[in-house]
Amino acid sequence: MKRLRSPLSGTLRIYLVKVGDLVQPDTEVAVIDSMKMEIPVLAEYAGRVSALLADPAAMIDEGQPLVELES
Amino acid sequence: MSWEKELEEIARRRELALQMGGTQKVARQHAAGKLSVRERIDQLLDPGSFREVGTLAGAARYEGPELVEFVPANQVAGRGTISGRPVAVVGDDFTVRGGAADASIYEKLLYPERLAHDLRMPIVRLVDGTGGGGSVRTLESMGFTYVPALPGWHILDGNLSRVPVIGLALGSVAGLGAARVAASHYSLMVSDTAQIFAAGPPVVAHTGQTVTKEELGGSQLHARNGTVDDEVGSEHAAFERVRSFLSYLPRSVWELPARSPSDDDPQRQEAFLISTVPRDERKVYATRPILGAIADRGSFFEIGRLWGRSTICGLARFNGVACAVLASDPYHYGGAWTRASSEKLTRMVDLAETFHLPIVHLVDVPGFQVGVDAERAATIRAGVRAMAAIERSTVPWCTILVRKCFGVAGAANRPSGRLSMRYAWPSGSWGSLPIAGGLEAAYRAELDAAPDPRAKRAEIEARLNAVTSPLRSAERFSVEEIIDPRDTRRVICEFADLAVHALTPGPSRQGYRP
Repeated sequence: MKRLRSPLSGTLRIYLVKVGDLVQPDTEVAVIDSMKMEIPVLAEYAGRVSALLADPAAMIDEGQPLVELES
Repeated sequence: MSWEKELEEIARRRELALQMGGTQKVARQHAAGKLSVRERIDQLLDPGSFREVGTLAGAARYEGPELVEFVPANQVAGRGTISGRPVAVVGDDFTVRGGAADASIYEKLLYPERLAHDLRMPIVRLVDGTGGGGSVRTLESMGFTYVPALPGWHILDGNLSRVPVIGLALGSVAGLGAARVAASHYSLMVSDTAQIFAAGPPVVAHTGQTVTKEELGGSQLHARNGTVDDEVGSEHAAFERVRSFLSYLPRSVWELPARSPSDDDPQRQEAFLISTVPRDERKVYATRPILGAIADRGSFFEIGRLWGRSTICGLARFNGVACAVLASDPYHYGGAWTRASSEKLTRMVDLAETFHLPIVHLVDVPGFQVGVDAERAATIRAGVRAMAAIERSTVPWCTILVRKCFGVAGAANRPSGRLSMRYAWPSGSWGSLPIAGGLEAAYRAELDAAPDPRAKRAEIEARLNAVTSPLRSAERFSVEEIIDPRDTRRVICEFADLAVHALTPGPSRQGYRP
């Protein structure tokens, strides 16, 4: 099991994946509002989404887990 | 009378040295997914080029005049060539006492460093061992304690200002081993089989932290915090990266980087560049395809991909000229300078200054990272250090203003006190402050007095936006040229052609600090 972490702090605008989706490296999994921009979070690993770990509109810290993947 | 007998004895001892820690220990090394030190050296260097020094050094045991046991010193050292150019190499032998320093011969460890230092060639350290002190068991054999010192460290340190130094972590490395990896221009660790720490899990357990060695010092951590520049998936990949890295650099600071022949048209245009930056400034774009498109085909070599990620750093060739590349990555804080990206940028500019690489800087910088996290991280301290590196650099400089260029970090798009060549894309947008961020503060009274503040704000914003065209900046020579993005490769290749004639070999004014 692997976790995709936010590479930056900001506000979680939206998830672009749902539980059960397959992601590949560089799949956009979420969008974070930061530095007045909409910044996509790219998957670092491949896997199937088993859980979304943050609430939309939540403040996100750098390094905070956003998505749990089953490999 | 000949000396056959002595030669036979030398051959016998050489044979013993080649066995390293013995069949079992070497098998254990392989089972751990690691190569032996001699396999590493063979894979790193050009075939047949290794010239070993100190083959016969080690711990011998005699019965009468007879040698009955020989354990080689646990560093293998010498020189060889990589792509035909000489390099010094030193590798720890983990199969002999776990690479611990108390089974080494310090002079032998220093020899390759002196070789690199005095005969001016790069050095590659294959580190796979513990610290300098070895084990507390040595207290009993020595019968005294000593104030810690690193005899010869001035040679290792001096090498940083003289020759390319590469540190590879190829196993669990602690203490002095960790320092020998980090005190380098370029460092790598192999994921899963290499860990780096000041002290390992058993020592850390005394502080109440129970962690595995991978949790404590694996590449998941250290390739992402800048302890090392990059992680690689295998030792073979590490050696490939070493060969590539060295291909961009001169043998020493007294030479200039070699210019490679290039068959890539310096006027080559890539159509996507005209539309790669979105018109909506809230949207991001990928920087690496831009770098791939403008550099000589296949020549962009990224350094530090996983840390300080809002700035992409690397080496690349433009019309065959090796250059250092700095570029913003809007996927990370919109390209803003963070503490880590400032440190990475400092390291890259210092490398370029040390080894005479012209610098190409692609800028999309909204400023420093802002917010509580940024302040907590002491971002401005690292930021002004990066600015000092830029300001004090003397190598030719070329800036491409791709999009945003704001604030103090934006002003550091080039050194302020000397000429740089600078080109903006039509997507350029710059100022002391972005309008959206500064408008309320600047027009507070006007907004408060308005019957409809929202309408007033829109009106003011439209007024300000009307003067933000980069063409107005060009009228005042605030930006020198605005170019078709598809011409970026051409203008940088032209810069590189000019820059090679403005490089001066020799030590840089300030020594390199790792």
